[in-house]
Amino acid sequence: MATPVIMPRQGQSVESCILTEWKVNVGDQVAEGDVLAVIETDKASFDLESTASGSVLALFWEADDDVPVLANVAVIGNEGEDVEEFRPEGQGGASAPVAESPTPAAADSVAQSTSPVPTTVPAAAPAGGSLVASSGVSPRARRLALKHGIDPESLPGSGPEGRVIERDIEAVISGRPRLSATARARSLAEDLERPARGTGLAGMVRSQDLKVPGSVEGAEISPVKGIRKVIAERMIESLQTTAQLTLQASFELTKAQAYRKERLDAGQSKVSLNDVIAHGIIKTLAEHPEMNAHFLGDRIATFEKVHLGVAVDTPRGLLVPVISNASDLSIEQVSAEVKKLAGACREGTISPDNLSGGSFTLTNLGMLGVETFTPVLNAPEVAILGVGGIVLKPKRTESGEVEHVDTLPLSLTIDHQAVDGAPAARFLQSLVERLENTPGA
Amino acid sequence: MKYDFAVIGAGPAGYVAAKKAAGAGLKTLLVEKKKLGGVCLNEGCVPSKTLLQAAKTYHHAKHGSVFGVNVEGLSFDFPKAHSHKNGVMDKMRDGIAGLMKKYKVDVVEGEAVLQPNRKIVVNGEEHEADNILICTGSSPAVPPIPGINQEHVVDSTGILNRESLPKRLIVVGGGVIGCEFACMYASVDVPVTVLEAMPEICPNLDSEISATLRKELEKKGVEFKLESKVEEIGKSTVTYNDGSNSQEIEGDLVLVATGRRPNVSGLGFEEIGLEFSPRGIKSDDRGATNLPGVWVAGDVTGQAWLAHAASRMGEVVVNNITGRTDRMRFDAMPAVVYTSPEVAVVGLTKEEAEERGIKTRSGRIPMAINARYIAENPDESGLCKVVLEKDTNRLLGVHMVGGACSEMIFGATAMLETELREEEIEEIVFPHPTTSEIIKDVFMAVR
Repeated sequence: MATPVIMPRQGQSVESCILTEWKVNVGDQVAEGDVLAVIETDKASFDLESTASGSVLALFWEADDDVPVLANVAVIGNEGEDVEEFRPEGQGGASAPVAESPTPAAADSVAQSTSPVPTTVPAAAPAGGSLVASSGVSPRARRLALKHGIDPESLPGSGPEGRVIERDIEAVISGRPRLSATARARSLAEDLERPARGTGLAGMVRSQDLKVPGSVEGAEISPVKGIRKVIAERMIESLQTTAQLTLQASFELTKAQAYRKERLDAGQSKVSLNDVIAHGIIKTLAEHPEMNAHFLGDRIATFEKVHLGVAVDTPRGLLVPVISNASDLSIEQVSAEVKKLAGACREGTISPDNLSGGSFTLTNLGMLGVETFTPVLNAPEVAILGVGGIVLKPKRTESGEVEHVDTLPLSLTIDHQAVDGAPAARFLQSLVERLENTPGA
Repeated sequence: MKYDFAVIGAGPAGYVAAKKAAGAGLKTLLVEKKKLGGVCLNEGCVPSKTLLQAAKTYHHAKHGSVFGVNVEGLSFDFPKAHSHKNGVMDKMRDGIAGLMKKYKVDVVEGEAVLQPNRKIVVNGEEHEADNILICTGSSPAVPPIPGINQEHVVDSTGILNRESLPKRLIVVGGGVIGCEFACMYASVDVPVTVLEAMPEICPNLDSEISATLRKELEKKGVEFKLESKVEEIGKSTVTYNDGSNSQEIEGDLVLVATGRRPNVSGLGFEEIGLEFSPRGIKSDDRGATNLPGVWVAGDVTGQAWLAHAASRMGEVVVNNITGRTDRMRFDAMPAVVYTSPEVAVVGLTKEEAEERGIKTRSGRIPMAINARYIAENPDESGLCKVVLEKDTNRLLGVHMVGGACSEMIFGATAMLETELREEEIEEIVFPHPTTSEIIKDVFMAVR
């Protein structure tokens, strides 16, 4: 019996998932639990497993489609069974689109027949050329187009209201690279990119000059998708929509290290330096609520509780799991939560619900030998604290002598739209004081 | 003097580049230590082809009976053939000199030594140029064979100046040059033995083409000793090892034709920091060396070893200097052996293509199916082979032996340069009756 496989709901906040990659083709035999595809939310990626055994009868979406949750994704059953009843609305007609279906190659304008065929839009289209479908073709443009075997109807016009005029046709003709017969055939068959000038006779484009679209000489190309795409969008959005200012300070580690040792000596659970800092942040934020906020353009949301985001390096890229209601937790609980969430991130099992809702973020590059850096805000949060690596510093004691102590640099980036430098500095000062004098308390 | 462009060496790379640069308005200097035209005109292509034509004419006269042409009292006047050769060379040299004058190229005779910062010294005089083209050519290689420094042992330059026929010629090296001289001397009834170290002559060619050429030359009386390494050259003998034993053959003239070496010494290359080795000057596909404004073309690059390749390299350099992007392409470089029959090839052999991971289809057809060919070459076996890329049907190579096929290889070259496929070539009209039709007909045999 034909059984549809649906796009599962990945947490309450997720409305759709990107289908990044199909792992099967129509006709393949699959068993229940086999991986059909890789899917991604804007936070993490998952395997989509088959919920039935049998033959893959249909794949309703293409790679990189944004698929609504609970929509039918594929149909598993016996060869010959009808799949139409399962086809999601708007997903093609009779022919089932599969990942491998070729993108319609832009038809080449100089075909072997003399009849006009659609032409590609050259890179050298006139500036200001409208990309909307053209509303009419001037008689002069039509004559010139027919002479050169170009379909004028397929061009974006640069005349009034998108009308195709003579210069649009001229642009096509002049921007058209001369191709060798083999290069022309290959570029159409394999959908390859033609450079404006090739290495052949007087710049003729030869088949060796054709490139996979977007390729860069001497470099391997990987598409920006999934988590990388999300990070890229978030980072540039953060830098473009916030007024970032980074303040730097450092705290003496002596008591924090002693605190950790005392815990161990007393048989208590082990906490990391990062846990001590996370706990310190949570406590200090209670005294500086303006730092525990979202800047939302026309209003600022100041949170009652601290929802601490912790940056985690994973093979798929940076993830920031959030410890919700962290201000309700003890240092032991914070430590355990960080461990659990970071592990889930690295294994790819983190729920998308745990990847949002933060009010303040902690990021630590100290273990990688970084002294100080300027963290980028996890917008709309108004502050993020970066932790560097241990630095040995001279310190004057009360008796006036100089001794050396371990210190840890802290970098606090704030959104100056929401917070001014002085209050931010006061927060940092409080945090340093707490970490130096009463760590873990 | 200050020039825009200075050229060292007036061979096919140098004079072509000088003419083109001067034509583009560059103030140009051309330095040559010997004669205008370089090895090609004075010691290679041109004189050898003139003597080959003399030998071919004698041979045709002698073997004309199939056409009903019977010659009595036939003789071969070698000094007369040389004087024709010298006349052709003089005419061509005058032509180049006239061309240089017409284009206002300053021609200086003397040895050039390069100095840093694009300066050169010739005859004690210093010249400076924005761009310098080095095209100092190549010289015959001198293999370390005992007895090579004797009067009767010559290289390709030396043999062209011999105006008397030997009783017996021994050719060391069965490459292109060795085969051409073997053919020439055998055609005028001199017994010739060719000693080749490899298992087949002209090992860079398609092996079936090489074998066909060898059999045709054997018909003319050339004896080939393959896989034979020369050990010593004596007063009237050459000792070689045939793989198991030392053998001795007699001969009163020995031609050593074991390849050529780029001329890279004594020109100041090391002093100015030019990147080069005994195998040639290093350059990119525009002819640019590691030094700014210093360019290179021709045999001194260690590539192609062909006059027409040298000329094209010279043109590429001038195009790049004068602002037109141009690149040297070797994949459609024709090569010819001017024996009788001639060999003409362009592009890849099936084996070369497959070594590069290209899947191929190929075909071969005997020249004997061609009416014009059998009419003119009744006693000869020719062959045409074609190689196509399997996926695209693109022409990859054409390989011919037979008749005067050098005159039609350019057609295949143009097809390769424009990457024509079987589909397009099928629609090209070839004149009938010509031997060139073989290039169309060979596609019938493609599998």
